[in-house]
Amino acid sequence: MAVFDTPQAAFGALRPVCVQLTRAQTVENVEQLQAHLAGVSGAALQELQEYVLFPLRFALRVPGPKQERLVQSLVQCISSVLAATCVKKQELLQELFSELCTCLAPPPSSGKAAPLSEELKLAVIQALHTLMHSAYGDIILSLYQPSTLPLLGFAVSLLLTLAEQEKAKQIKISALECLQVLVLQCDCQEHQRLDEDEAQKCGDLFASFLPGISITLSRVIAGDIKQGHKTTVSAIRLFYLIVGLVMADKQLARIPKSKEKLPVEHSRLSELMIHRGPDWTKSTAEKLSLLLHKVVESSSVHPHWKVRLELVELVHHLLTNCNQSLVDSFSHLLKALVGLVNDENSEVQSRCNEVLQGIGEQRIVAQNRALADVLSENLHSLATALPRLMNSQDDMGKVSTLSLLLGYLKLLGSKVNIVLNSVSHLQRLSKALLQVLELDVTDVKIVEARRSGPPGPLQQGVQKSRCQKKYFRFFTEEKVFQLLQQVCRVLGYYGNLYLLVDHFMGLYSESSLYRKQAAMILNELVTGAAGVGVDFLQEREAPLSVDDLKGSITSILDEYMDQANWYLVTSIDTEESSPEQSVQHLGLAVRARGTSSSVLHLSPEPPVTTRTMNSNIWQICIQLEGVGCFAAVLGKEFRLLLLSALYPVLEKAGDRTLLISETALGTLADICEACGYDSVRSLINENSDYLVNGISLNLRQLAYQPRASQVLDTMLRHSDANLLPLVEDVIQDVLSTLDQTYNSQASTFLRVLHSVMTALDEVPLAKPEPSCDTGEAPMPSHAQLARDVMERCIHLLSDGNLRVRLKVLDVLELCVTMLHPHGNHLLPMAHRVWPALVTRLISDDPLAVLRAFKVLCTLAQTCGDFLRQRFSKDVLPKLTSSLLSQAPVSARAGPVYSHTLAFKLQLAVLQGLGSLCEELDMGESDLNKVADACLIYLSAKQPVKLQEAAQSVFLHLMHVDPDSTWLLLSEVCCPEGYEPPHASLRPVKLSGMGRPRNELTDNVLLLLQRLQQQEGTAPSSSTQEASPS
Amino acid sequence: MALPPPDPQFVLRGTSAPVHTLHFSCGAPEPDIPLLFSGSENGFIHVWNLKTHRVDTALDGHGRKSVYCVETMGSKDRLLRQPGFLRLQLVDNLFHCNSQGRDQRICFWDLAEGRTSLTDSVFTEHVGFCRCSLLKVAQGRWLIAMAARSLEEVGSQNFDLEPDQFLFVFLMSGSDFGAAIQDVSLYLETRGGCQAGHAHVSEVMAVFDFAASGDKAEEWELGELSCGSQPVLLAGYEDGSVVLWNVPMGKALSQLICHQEPVMSLDFDSEKAKGISGSSEKVLSIWSLNEQQNLQVYKTHELVNAGISDITIRPDKKILATAGWDHRIRIFGWKKLKPLAVLDYHTATVHCVSFSDHSNPRDRLLAAGSKDQRISVWSIYAQT
Repeated sequence: MAVFDTPQAAFGALRPVCVQLTRAQTVENVEQLQAHLAGVSGAALQELQEYVLFPLRFALRVPGPKQERLVQSLVQCISSVLAATCVKKQELLQELFSELCTCLAPPPSSGKAAPLSEELKLAVIQALHTLMHSAYGDIILSLYQPSTLPLLGFAVSLLLTLAEQEKAKQIKISALECLQVLVLQCDCQEHQRLDEDEAQKCGDLFASFLPGISITLSRVIAGDIKQGHKTTVSAIRLFYLIVGLVMADKQLARIPKSKEKLPVEHSRLSELMIHRGPDWTKSTAEKLSLLLHKVVESSSVHPHWKVRLELVELVHHLLTNCNQSLVDSFSHLLKALVGLVNDENSEVQSRCNEVLQGIGEQRIVAQNRALADVLSENLHSLATALPRLMNSQDDMGKVSTLSLLLGYLKLLGSKVNIVLNSVSHLQRLSKALLQVLELDVTDVKIVEARRSGPPGPLQQGVQKSRCQKKYFRFFTEEKVFQLLQQVCRVLGYYGNLYLLVDHFMGLYSESSLYRKQAAMILNELVTGAAGVGVDFLQEREAPLSVDDLKGSITSILDEYMDQANWYLVTSIDTEESSPEQSVQHLGLAVRARGTSSSVLHLSPEPPVTTRTMNSNIWQICIQLEGVGCFAAVLGKEFRLLLLSALYPVLEKAGDRTLLISETALGTLADICEACGYDSVRSLINENSDYLVNGISLNLRQLAYQPRASQVLDTMLRHSDANLLPLVEDVIQDVLSTLDQTYNSQASTFLRVLHSVMTALDEVPLAKPEPSCDTGEAPMPSHAQLARDVMERCIHLLSDGNLRVRLKVLDVLELCVTMLHPHGNHLLPMAHRVWPALVTRLISDDPLAVLRAFKVLCTLAQTCGDFLRQRFSKDVLPKLTSSLLSQAPVSARAGPVYSHTLAFKLQLAVLQGLGSLCEELDMGESDLNKVADACLIYLSAKQPVKLQEAAQSVFLHLMHVDPDSTWLLLSEVCCPEGYEPPHASLRPVKLSGMGRPRNELTDNVLLLLQRLQQQEGTAPSSSTQEASPS
Repeated sequence: MALPPPDPQFVLRGTSAPVHTLHFSCGAPEPDIPLLFSGSENGFIHVWNLKTHRVDTALDGHGRKSVYCVETMGSKDRLLRQPGFLRLQLVDNLFHCNSQGRDQRICFWDLAEGRTSLTDSVFTEHVGFCRCSLLKVAQGRWLIAMAARSLEEVGSQNFDLEPDQFLFVFLMSGSDFGAAIQDVSLYLETRGGCQAGHAHVSEVMAVFDFAASGDKAEEWELGELSCGSQPVLLAGYEDGSVVLWNVPMGKALSQLICHQEPVMSLDFDSEKAKGISGSSEKVLSIWSLNEQQNLQVYKTHELVNAGISDITIRPDKKILATAGWDHRIRIFGWKKLKPLAVLDYHTATVHCVSFSDHSNPRDRLLAAGSKDQRISVWSIYAQT
C-alpha cells in the first residue's frame, strides 16, 4: 500500500473519502476512511487532523437515532486518528471529550432505551483513553478547570457506572483504566509530571468526585469474585491513587483557611467545588475509614494473591502519603499489612516485609505520634483478646495472631514504651504472654529420668548447649514458640529494660503459677535487650549500655538463685529428699524473716505431687538456661558474675534429675564460650577460689552440706596440682564439719573425701626435700591431709550404716596408698586403725569383709611385718574356724544357698584369703591353717563359686610355697607314681597315691596341673619363693 | 528468739600466712574499684579487689618480715597540690618478731596509676607489737605516731620526704612508765581550745619533721596547723595502763591503769571523748576523758574468753568489733556496750578487725584477718 508522506499527497488521497462520508454517513464510508488512514504517515495526518476528524464528528452530531454499528465505527476511526496525532487545541480536546462521553450516555429523549452494545462501550472507552493520551503538552490541563467540572463529573460517573455494572470483564477493566487516566494517575511514562500547584488544583477538583469514586470502587472491590482478580486489582489501585491524591498530607497542609472565591460567572460551579478544609478532611477521613475497612476485609482474604499484593501497595501508598489525614484508618490498614507478613504467597510476603522495612527506616511511626497511638490501641485490643484467642484458636490461628502482635511491636519500635508506660497495657500484654507460655507439666518421665550412677566427668570440650524442648499447654507448633520468643526479644530490644524486668520480676514473685513463664520471658527480654537474635525493622536510637544490662542481669540472677527459687523439691528420693526439703523450709524461713516477708510463703507446704516436681524441674531448667543466656549476652563481662553464679550452676550439674544436670552442663558450656574458657575444666580451675568460698560457706549450714560436697566433688574432678593449696584449705573445713556431724552427713562427706583422695593420688607430687636440721623429711601437705582423713576413717569404720562403712574402707585404702612413702606416719595410724579393721574382717557384712581384705592387702604392702603377727593372732583363727564350720552347711545346701549371707561371707573370705597370705608373707604354720581350712572347699559338693574361690586360695599358696602346696595336694590325690631315679633311694610314698576317686579329686588334679605349668614356665621360681626375702 | 549469727559474705584466701592487719579503701566513687589491703606475717601486702575478690597486686617490701599496719593516704590532697599526679600512699609499719630487731620500718608506697613502687622508708629500733597511727591534721599535713626506743636513733636519720607533709611523733617505749608501748592512737582534741605551742622534744616524746633534713621541727606550730584543735596521742602500755599525751607539749596529761595485763589494742571516739581498750585478760575497759583532760574508768565489760588482739569502732561510732584470741569476732553497740553478735568462722586467733569506708552505708563491710590465713568479710548491721 502506498504511503503518503506529505500532507498534500495525503490530502489528495483522503479528500474523496472524507467528502463521501460527509455526504453519506454509512459504516462502509467510515471503513473506507479508516482504510485510507492506514496509508497516511503520522506527520501528514497531524496536518490534516481536524480535516479528517470533521466528517467523523459531523456524523456523530447528526441528530436523530443512529445505527449502533455506525457510531462504533465512527468512534473507532476517531480513536485511530487520535492515536496517530496530537490534540493541540484546548477547544478540540474539550469538544471531543464531550462528544465521546455523549456516545455513552443514554439518549436523553428515550429515558430508558435499550442498552448499548458492549462493543460500542468498549470502543468509546478506548477512544477516551486514546484522547487523553493524545493531548499535547499541558493542553490536557485545560480539561481540569473549575469550568469543566460538570463535564469531568459526567465522564467519571459514566465510567464508574460501567465499571460497576457491566458484566464483561474487559469493559470493567478498561473503564477503570480509563478512569485512572482521567484522574491523571496513568501508569504509563508518557505523561508530564504535574507540578505542586497543578496537583493541588487537581486535588481540589477530584475532591468533588471522591465520595462517588470511593464508594463505587469499594463496591467493586468487595464485588463478586467472578469478576476476576484484574478488575479488583485495578479498582484497588485506582482507589488508593485517588484517595492518595485527594487526601495527601502535603496538599492538605497547603489548603488555605477559607474557600477561594471564584469569579461571579462561575457562581454555580463554585457550589460544586469543594474546600478541603479541616472539617471536610475530618468527615471524609471518617467515611473513608469505613470504606477502607470494607476494602481491607474483603481483599485481605481474597483468594488471588495479586489482590492481596495490591492491598499491600494500598497500605504502603496511603501510609506514605496520607499518614496524618487518614490516621484513623491505619488501625485496619496496619493490621492488614502486618497480617500479610505471613501470607502463603512468597511475593506478597516479601513485598510486605519490604514495605514494613521501609516504614521502619523512614521512621514513619516514630515521627507520627498519632500513628503510634493507633498502633498502641491496636496492640492493646489485641493484647486484651490474646488470652481468649490463644485458648480458642488452633495453632495456625495462633501463628497469625502472634505475628500480628509481633508486627505491631516492630512497627512501634521505640514508641513501644508508650504502651509499656501504661500500666493497663503492660498488664494485659504480660498476662497474655504468661498465659500462652504456660508449660505442660504432666509428663511423668521428666521426674523419673534420673542420672544413672555417680556423676560422670563433665565434658572436657565446650559443647554448645541447646535449649531443652519444652511442651506447652496451649500449643504444640514450634513456630508459635518462635514467635513468642521474638515478641519478647523485640520488647526487650525497644522497651525500657528496667521497667520490663521490674514488671516481670514482680510477676515472677507474685505467684508460682507465673514463675516459669516469667523466667522464660525475662531470659528472652535480656537476650533481646542485648540485640541478640532480634528481628527488627528499625534500629533503636540508643543501644543499652553494658552497665545497665549488667545491672538488670544481676538483679535477675539474684532472684533466680534465691534459696526459695533455686532449691526446689524435684524428687522424693529417700537419699536426697530430706535435706532438700529441709533446705526448702529453711529457704522459706530465711525469706520470711527478710525484708520481704510475704504471707504467701508461710502457708503450709502442699503435698509434693509429680506435677509439682515436674514444674519445679522446669523452673530450675529455665533459670539455668537464663544463666546461659545472660553469659552469652555479657560475654567476658560475665566473669565478674561468676563470683555468685558459678557455684549454683555447678551444684545443678551434679543434680540427680537428668534434665536438670543436662541443662546445667549446657549452661556451663555457654559460660565457657561467653567468658572465653576453652573447657569446663579451665572454667572450674580458674574460678576455684570462688567455688571454694561457696563450698566453705555452705558447709557451715547443715542443710546445704550435701550440695556443697557435691560441688567440691565436681571441682576436684577437674582440678589439678595448682589448686592443691586451695583444696587443702577447704578440706580442712570438710574435716571439721565432719567432726561435728558424724551421724547425719557421713555418707555425703565420705564421697568427697574419696574424691579428694583420688584427686590427690593422681596429682604428680614433688619429692619431699629432706631438711638439713632434722634429717627427716617434713611431711608434704597432701600426706598430712591423708593422715587427717585417715584419722576420721578410724571413727567411721564402726558406723552403723553399711554403705558408710564400705565407703570408709575405700577411702581408707586410698589413704594408705597415699601414706605409703611415709612409713613413720603410716605405722602409728595402722596401729590405731587395726582394732576397728579387725572387727570389719571378722564380724561384718561380707561386702565389708571383702573390702576390708582389700585394705588389709594394701596395708600389707607397706606394713607386712607389722601386720603379720596381728593377722595371724587376731583374724586368721576366726576366719579359718568359720570357714571350717560353714563348709558342711554349704556342701549340703541347695541352689538357693547362693543368695544367703553365709554364702557371700564364705565366698568373700575365700576370695580374699589367698592374696592376703601372699602379701603378708605368712609363716608356714599359718599357711597350713589356711590350706587346711580351704581344702574342704575343693570338694565337688561345694557350690561352684566356692570351689573356684578355694582354687584361687591354692593358686596363691602355690606362689608363696609351691613345694608344700604340692605335698599337701598330693597327699589328697596323686595321679602319677614317682619312680626313684636310683635304686638306693626309697620309693616315694604319698598318701594320695592310688586313692579312689573322691569329691576332691577333680579340683586337686586341676591345681596340680596348674602347679606343674607354673613350675615348668618358671623353673627358678620355686627356689626364689622358698628363700626368705 | 535471737537469730543465728550470719555467715561471712565471703572469705578471701591466698595470703598463705597469718594476716595481721587490714585496711579498706572503698570511699572513692565509681568507677574506682573498692580495695582491701591486707598485711601478713610473710611480709606481703596484698591488695584485694573487692569486686572480683581476687588479689590485684602483692607488694613485697618487708623482707619477709611481718606487716603490722597498713594505712592509705587519700589522693585528693595530693591531686590539689600537684595536678596530674595522683598518688596513693601506704604507710605500713613493720615489725620483726624475732629478737634480732633492728628493722622496724615504715614504708611509703606509691600505688597511683598501677605503680607499686616503694618510695621511702623510716627505720626505728623499737621491738614490740605496736602499730603506728596516722592522723591528718590539715590539708596535706599528716602526723605519724609510733613507738621508738631512743631519741638518738630516730634523730640520726636523714630522709628526703616531701616537704611539710609528715610530722613524726616518736613515743619512747619503756621510759618513764617502765613498760613497752603496745598501741598508739592519734586524735584531734577539739574541746581543749587552741593552744599555740611548738613541737616539743623531751625524754619521752620527740616530734620530727624529716623534711627539714632531720632537724627537730620546733618551728612546726601544731596549734596553728590544726586551727582550734590539737593532736593528742593515746598510748596503751604493757603494764595495762593507758596514757594521754599532748603532742605539741610533749607531756603526759593523764594516766589510767585499765588492765592487769598488757593493753593489746585501743580505740578512741573523740566525739564522745570515750575510748575502749582490750588486753590479754577477760575484760574490755571503757574510759572517758573529762574536761580536765583526765582519763577515768567509765565501765568495764567481762568477756567469756580472754584475749583481745584488736578493737575497732566503726567510723559512724555506732558499733565496735573486737578480734578475739578465742577465734571469734564480737560485735558490740558502742553506746552501752551491748553485745550484739558473736561471729564464729575462724579456726585460729583473729588478729585484726576493720570496717570499710564505703560512702553508701549499705555497702559497709567488716573484715577480719586471722592466724588461719583467711580474711573473712562480713556484711553486718549495714542497715543501722
